[in-house]
Amino acid sequence: MKTNSIEVKNFTKNFGDFTAVNNISFNVEQGTIFAFLGPNGAGKSTTINTLCTIQEKTDGELWINGHDVSLQKDKVRRDIGIVFQESTLDGKLTVEENLKLHCAFYKVPKSEVMERIDFVLDLVDIKNRRRSTVDSLSGGMKRRAEIARGLVHFPKVLFLDEPTTGLDPQTRANVWDYIHKLQKQKNITIFLTTHYMDEAEICDQVAIIDGGKIVAHDTPANLKKRYTVTTMKIKTSDPDRLEVYLQERSIKYSVDRQQFLIYATGTRDVVAIASTFKETIEDIEINKGTLNDVFIAITGKEIRE
Amino acid sequence: MIRPIAAILSRNLMKLRRDRMKLFLNLFMSGLFLFIFSFVIKSTVPGLDHPMNYLISGIIIMTVFQSALSNSMNILEDISSGFMKEILVAPINRWQIAIGHVLSAMVVSVIQGLIIVVIGLFMGLNIDFLHGLAMVGLMFLVGLTFSALGLYLATLTKESSNFQLLITIVSFPLTFLSGAYIPTMALPGILQPFVYLNPLTYTTAAFRFVALHMENMPVSDLVKAGVAFNVHGFIITPPLSLLLIMIMCILFFVLCVNRFNKADFSRVKIFKHSH
Repeated sequence: MKTNSIEVKNFTKNFGDFTAVNNISFNVEQGTIFAFLGPNGAGKSTTINTLCTIQEKTDGELWINGHDVSLQKDKVRRDIGIVFQESTLDGKLTVEENLKLHCAFYKVPKSEVMERIDFVLDLVDIKNRRRSTVDSLSGGMKRRAEIARGLVHFPKVLFLDEPTTGLDPQTRANVWDYIHKLQKQKNITIFLTTHYMDEAEICDQVAIIDGGKIVAHDTPANLKKRYTVTTMKIKTSDPDRLEVYLQERSIKYSVDRQQFLIYATGTRDVVAIASTFKETIEDIEINKGTLNDVFIAITGKEIRE
Repeated sequence: MIRPIAAILSRNLMKLRRDRMKLFLNLFMSGLFLFIFSFVIKSTVPGLDHPMNYLISGIIIMTVFQSALSNSMNILEDISSGFMKEILVAPINRWQIAIGHVLSAMVVSVIQGLIIVVIGLFMGLNIDFLHGLAMVGLMFLVGLTFSALGLYLATLTKESSNFQLLITIVSFPLTFLSGAYIPTMALPGILQPFVYLNPLTYTTAAFRFVALHMENMPVSDLVKAGVAFNVHGFIITPPLSLLLIMIMCILFFVLCVNRFNKADFSRVKIFKHSH
């Protein structure tokens, strides 16, 4: 049976007169990766902070593994791991000391502490830097140490607030490798916020949040199917026949000299056109819709980096 | 229940061991005062029997006070570095965090005080075992009192750097009006009300009473030596001073833990680090 790790019902958070999050609801199934996608100030961090028990909700219900986030803080805290947007490691201590401290806070049995530290440091591949002070590590390594710390108490739900912001592409890719490795090995639920489209693309579910509201929530594939079209650029030696074909099927297109720009509604259209005109097509380019297009289609604006 | 407190305590002590400069600077100030005032005190207060003992005991307790106050402010560093967030989302209680921090500041302040005691021994401070024990006990009490006060004040702030400066500016005149460096008798009359309102006055008096073996002195002599105070006919004796400190200690401790339970640290400005 499928169970939900996170359940949010009609959650609202006000700061004075300002409504940061406005009546949102969503569920996250156990063992899946869920992404909150949205521009800065959309309410992503406010939602994470409330789920992580560091901020009080204004209204609504928030549950993690069946524990009420406002009333059963300790149980919630024991079940979750968090990697914040900003570094929250103690820079003056070594990686290992940071992790040991964390184990003491989370009451990891003393006999297991070293074993677990070995395990998580191995997972993020910084075992050889365990005795280095955090301040001496590079940005990417700090991030990995941070993720390792968030995991060392074996949380059931892991929150990642913009886990890869400010990292170079190579390190970002690595961080994602760890996230996937982890999800497979430990079957934990991952809730992350991001403003990178390509990161949201590889999640199981994506909720697009804008101005404190969830404006769309589905799998990346469904979102794209619903909100984007596939465009084909075709150069053909027989433009007249293609025009007739498109008009008969009322497929939208524009034409510039012999270059057609066709707005196909789905893969079926694309394949049909390509096979029908395979003899006369001189050049073809197919562009699938991206989550970025979804975002623009829904909010009418581009996501800022 | 004890493990998180012990973890915070050992972490703070470990940090201090790494940051020896801080430890040294604190002691340097005490050493400097010891040196300067040892010249001054002989010329300004001719009536004093053991001017050096008088001075050293004052400096010991001021070292404990300063160190307790400034070390409990270290939590501001945790807040601005972001580490506080890690502690806040951990499944531990706020009061455990508060006690962990107060205890660390107290332990550090007592260690610093003990270093001055050792220096004092070379400079002519004369104590036996029992008095020494009583002195250490008092140092713990004073350390606890002002660590709690420091942490309480720290949780009130939203901007760390100015606040630390403010504390220094406020605590400096307080130490001078406490009789620790300059005997209160030597201060001009208009400053006397401030002396009596100053909590450090009683801290210094009680500690000096023990350090200088004054338990057999008549009250009139104690007043003359500046360890008891005649406030319009009401005599504040050293045991009464001790009681005052204990009351302050309980008050500050309750205030601090209480305040810590309610403080919203997520709204405190956090400086973003580049990852």
